Amino acid sequence: MFGRMSKSYDVVVVGGGPAGLAAALGALESGISRVLIVEREPEAGGILRQCIHSGFGLHHFKEELTGPEYAERFITKVIDRDIDVVPQSYVTGLAVDSEGTRLVRVLSERGGLSTIECRSVVLAMGCRERTRGAVRIPGSRPSGICTAGLAQKLVNLDGYLPGERAVILGSGDIGLIMARRLTLEGCKVEGVFELMPYSNGLTRNVVQCLSDFDIPLHLSTTVAMIHGRDRLEAVTVAPVDEAGQPILEKGWDVPCDTLLLSIGLIPENELSLNLGIELDVVTGGPVVTSTMATSLPGVFACGNVLHVHDLVDFVTEEALRAGRFAGEYARHIRRPQDTISLVPGQNVRYCLPHTLSPDRTHTIYLRTKKKLQPCLLKVGDLLERKLRFVVPAEMIHLTIKPELLERFYEDRLQIDLIPLTE
Amino acid sequence: MTTRRVQNYVCTSCPIGCPLQLVHEGDEIVEIEGQECNRGAKYAKQEFVDPRRTFATTVPIEGALYARLPVKLSAPIPKHLMMAAMGEIRKLSARAPVALGQVMLRDVAGVAGVDVVASRTIPRTLCAPDPRAESRA
Amino acid sequence: MFDVAIIGGGVVGCAVARELSRYHLRTVLIERYAEVGFGTTKTNSGIIHAGQQTAPGTLKGLLEVRGNAMFDELQRELGFGFRRCGELVVASSEEEIATLHRMKSDGEAKGVRGLVMWDREKLKREEPNLSSHLVAALFAPTAGVINPYEFAFALVKCAEQNGVELRVGSPVTSIAKGPDGFVIEAGAETLKAHFVLNAAGVHADQVAAMVGAADFSIHPRRGEEYLLDKRLEGIVQRLIFPVPTPASKGILIIPTFDGTIMVGPTAQDQEDRFDVPTTFEGSEAVFSSVRRICPAIDPRATIAEFAGLRAVSNTGDFIIGQSAVPGFFNVAGIQSPGLTASPAIATHVVDLLGRSGLSLVERADFNPEVAPPFRFAQQSNDARQALIATDPLFGKLVCRCELVTEAEVNQAIDHGACTLDGVKFRTRAGMGRCQGGFCTTRVMQILADRLKVPFHEVTKRGGDSWIVRPMPAPGPAPDDQTEEG
Repeated sequence: MFGRMSKSYDVVVVGGGPAGLAAALGALESGISRVLIVEREPEAGGILRQCIHSGFGLHHFKEELTGPEYAERFITKVIDRDIDVVPQSYVTGLAVDSEGTRLVRVLSERGGLSTIECRSVVLAMGCRERTRGAVRIPGSRPSGICTAGLAQKLVNLDGYLPGERAVILGSGDIGLIMARRLTLEGCKVEGVFELMPYSNGLTRNVVQCLSDFDIPLHLSTTVAMIHGRDRLEAVTVAPVDEAGQPILEKGWDVPCDTLLLSIGLIPENELSLNLGIELDVVTGGPVVTSTMATSLPGVFACGNVLHVHDLVDFVTEEALRAGRFAGEYARHIRRPQDTISLVPGQNVRYCLPHTLSPDRTHTIYLRTKKKLQPCLLKVGDLLERKLRFVVPAEMIHLTIKPELLERFYEDRLQIDLIPLTE
Repeated sequence: MTTRRVQNYVCTSCPIGCPLQLVHEGDEIVEIEGQECNRGAKYAKQEFVDPRRTFATTVPIEGALYARLPVKLSAPIPKHLMMAAMGEIRKLSARAPVALGQVMLRDVAGVAGVDVVASRTIPRTLCAPDPRAESRA
Repeated sequence: MFDVAIIGGGVVGCAVARELSRYHLRTVLIERYAEVGFGTTKTNSGIIHAGQQTAPGTLKGLLEVRGNAMFDELQRELGFGFRRCGELVVASSEEEIATLHRMKSDGEAKGVRGLVMWDREKLKREEPNLSSHLVAALFAPTAGVINPYEFAFALVKCAEQNGVELRVGSPVTSIAKGPDGFVIEAGAETLKAHFVLNAAGVHADQVAAMVGAADFSIHPRRGEEYLLDKRLEGIVQRLIFPVPTPASKGILIIPTFDGTIMVGPTAQDQEDRFDVPTTFEGSEAVFSSVRRICPAIDPRATIAEFAGLRAVSNTGDFIIGQSAVPGFFNVAGIQSPGLTASPAIATHVVDLLGRSGLSLVERADFNPEVAPPFRFAQQSNDARQALIATDPLFGKLVCRCELVTEAEVNQAIDHGACTLDGVKFRTRAGMGRCQGGFCTTRVMQILADRLKVPFHEVTKRGGDSWIVRPMPAPGPAPDDQTEEG
């Protein structure tokens, strides 16, 4: 029930975005009944609430939905199945008592500080946006610089414009979608500037969000300087050299009152860090086993808190699994320990989960370090698959069936992406 | 006598984004090049004959938790009508509660059968307290 | 008619205001920006110097040592963030060791307590993350770190509670000396006062020129600072200085009171008195310098960067005293160690005023204390529960990175914050890792509600620093092709 919070649960899910909603439903599938979602916003749905554009659900629902529609399908199920959702509440800590009960500390305006008992916990806190500090753009510090996601919230939920004349740094999908969104609302978008020699967004978004509106996309170009005393007045943009450093003498000034930053997302692991959970330096998220279990017993992770996804469909899929394993754990079912380390090899930035067990089917997610067209995906000597096209912005997923691992007795399985010549 | 012209597109059917060249004489397509698969030709043809787009935006809503209600088009409309459609949507407003799929405007920009619909539910339980709503109840 | 008008609500003006509030006087503090402390103070490195680095025989040297000794009591009374973490001046060569010895004897001559030379082994043991090429260090235990803006906010709150009037958003545009005192045009107001104190920082020579008392000049010297992620907390225990050069104290590693590491400042002279950009060159200078001392400091850990202006005078020393115009006092050229010296400057100035005819009758009801703001993040769980019992809004989190609650934001607004930056510097909301990504709209909404202004009128720091524009109300579509050029 929305707004209800009891003293004790089987599973507590931290975060009511797409990952948390699916994890809660996954937990029910494992045969438990008492699940709580702790959500910091006034309603569930997470970032999908402000992603009003369509393009969600093609994998999971085989139809194209907007973000709010995708979220609503899960929210409806969660409420129908009598999962509790407590809004405007934050998990501030977690402890384990002598009997192995997990004690979740929840802070909220209505309930003050309360302690909830449960058998297992799913971390589904999502991610946050990288800010100006992270890319270290020199210059003044006027108002008018904000992340694309904050601008999206302002426009789509609160009904305000972040400015009237915008420059967008970073060609990730949020940046592209905001370029169109602001244009539709009557703002002038001066251009999208991308450090890399290729766009980090989907081709469809480059065409439909930029080309359709004659918004220029400048590749291998960055914002090198910020000008303006009180409010942003202009930015200096400049092409970059091979090391990604701006070549200032080739730069030019673009007058604008708004700079939107769409420069990447970082898993939100403050809580995980406080709990001493082991994190992967590459993903920024927890190290997980094939049951999505973190290094802290009984604590599972999924969605963007684990690694930043590009499609919500995969978040859902991953979270359903994490929820099921968390539910099993709450029922005292223990899976055999994983025996195989999954390690990234040639051209692979990361692959998840970090370990595998030979006894069941695994879904593996990986990302390439660079654009390869075409390439050979190799999973040890077990599996080879030709891929026509891989880019860092697009996660690769594959399934490994237990048959494949039946006669695999090593403790290390490497994944490579080997470039092929056409 | 019509001359041959080339129209360039980037195929959006998949992430590869093949650069396509469509050669035409007037309204007649002569040939399509650049595609790595046959979805490219289909895409270029559609873009040439009748490019369509859909988009999402918001309308102001009263009595809800947030100021805006997300809406979308029920089907794509001709690309050149996007701004006209935005202009019509800008005149709309809503009041909670709203049902998912509720039609806010019919035949947007004069396109028969394409509606502006709410893309989420705004339930009563989520509405901000509104004295007028109380007195009606 | 005021007895005293102080021009400039930086840390010096605020300290003088509080000092004057001990007496039966009508005092007004006039600040050009939307809030006090928004000029040089906000961007200060936040160091309470021990005093061994300033040349003996100067006014600043004298007031620095005196000021340092006043901070324990001030901290007890005003509750700002302050910790005597000590400082180390580190030498990387035998020649520099000689400089350290000279600093030590100079410092001791000025009365700096506790100065000790550390050898390489002692340094390695106490600060194991510093570079192994360092050969020795001079340790000064009385140095500390402070949140300078909190100090300014607490000073002005105390001054106001004892009757000082505050005018913010009021740039002084003219000062005229009339038969019965000074007439000051400040913002939209005309203020009259018998005495005027010019504590206008980088603008002090311009303010002095308004009454023909500019026998000095101020040259802004920009300093860039880089604030690093909290994960570097504990990398150094103390303030780390290189051996200074005549131009500057060098680039420092500062373990701030809040547990972050800050590195800087640079020193770049400029003409403009407002522009405070950070630069590629500055960043290079800062990180190449600190990495020679502490190699583990990584520029990629930067979460924020900013710059501020020092008010450097042509005399090289503080300029404090009555100008050629009777009744008009300059408190100018207060660059480093100005923050350290500020409480001593305040007592010194009040003493000078008294000797120039200002009647100083102590108030029996002077209250030197202000309650420090509640910090939810710093409380135990029991204390948090108790806070929530007094105000449920302590249970409503506004900033997740720094664990700031709505009750604290409300409190900050009640204490004078009227901008996003004002709330940020009072509560830390928006100072953490996400740099306001999460809390910006929440804080704006609270400001709008509490100050009863529309959401879109909330600014980052006053003036033209607007944050959002309202969307047009439903109505005819605006022309698509309006914007051009």
